Amino acid sequence: MAKAVKALPEDIQKIVDVYEWDMRTREGIQRFRELKAKSLPSIALDGDLVYESLIPMQEELCDEILRRYEEKNRGV
Amino acid sequence: MESNSQKQRFVYHTEGVCPPEIHFHIQKEYVQKVRFVGGGCPGNAQLVSRFLEGKHLNEVLKLLKGIACRNDTSCPDQLAKALVAAKDGNLDPAPSFQVYTDPSPKNRIGLIGDLGGNSGVLEILIQTIREGGVDGIYCLGNLTGVSINNKDLIRLVRKEGLTAIQGERDWRFAQKEPDGDLTLLGQKEKDYLFRLPHVLSFQMGEKGGIAFFGEYIQRLPGFSDFDPFALEINMVCGLTQFMQDETVFPALEAMISQFKARIILFSQIRKWGHWQIGETDFISLGPASGDKGLCWGLLEESGKKINLKIINTGLPAGG
Repeated sequence: MAKAVKALPEDIQKIVDVYEWDMRTREGIQRFRELKAKSLPSIALDGDLVYESLIPMQEELCDEILRRYEEKNRGV
Repeated sequence: MESNSQKQRFVYHTEGVCPPEIHFHIQKEYVQKVRFVGGGCPGNAQLVSRFLEGKHLNEVLKLLKGIACRNDTSCPDQLAKALVAAKDGNLDPAPSFQVYTDPSPKNRIGLIGDLGGNSGVLEILIQTIREGGVDGIYCLGNLTGVSINNKDLIRLVRKEGLTAIQGERDWRFAQKEPDGDLTLLGQKEKDYLFRLPHVLSFQMGEKGGIAFFGEYIQRLPGFSDFDPFALEINMVCGLTQFMQDETVFPALEAMISQFKARIILFSQIRKWGHWQIGETDFISLGPASGDKGLCWGLLEESGKKINLKIINTGLPAGG
């Protein structure tokens, strides 16, 4: 899952900060529970759990990131 | 010793003096929590440890070196050797929690949960369990409780050669600084509790297992998420909240392939339960004396399966 995120095109990489949590650690588990995730791997965007278990196609993930980015920056 | 701002715990095996072990912490070259364990003059040892608390290594070494008591050495002299060894990097920091490995594989294990210091209950359970034909009895803690029988209970565990691990209350009672409950325990008993392993590793047929009490282990100084069996402990305590949150079982299943243990026993939540996720068995132990009277668990290996039978003795709670 992390690979899918790290392989994003450069223009997308520029507008996101990527954090990866290790589920073996207490910190990772805490974050997993905060997000109310249930399975692995999981991807959250802006603190919302968006993808669980299934790795999204890169295009789908990029579209979702862009949609959120545009929504946040609308009227700025 | 590398300059390390993290607190490190050390265990030094002595030579020629009464206490077989000295435990201490070092943080930024300052000495903390010195404890002479397993013998010697408890009063003097406590005094020494109070004097040394928070002092710089160099200052402590000046005070300790060259004192003779017996065999041309002494407790302070042994502590000096220990500190020098730690300082020079010749003594490795101790792991945050202690794992004991049961040397003999088992087929039928009698499991005892929280005893709460009730030696009468333990006496009855030992007899009942042995009549049931087991090849080992594991006590998962707490052994002690707010009870006048803590000493008797510890004596019984030792006399009967039971395999015991430390529960959270046992850990608190084993700490050096006294609180109200400690009045019921002597130094010998506190040292016994202090030296109990935190985790038990065992073998049952083809499956390796671990037993531990609960989440206090994660709070022990120096606990690392990458210690042996820390993953299993983190998954049980943190992810699944002692298997009480079934919604995260898919995540647990994804992590199980990294486990070293295939049977995981714990007793913090004082409730009997058995969950099989993939090829891993998770077992929670209820208290030895509960609503339904005295109770123990029979863990049995049959083929490749692990079965747990919860056995209510029919005897009233309280022993």
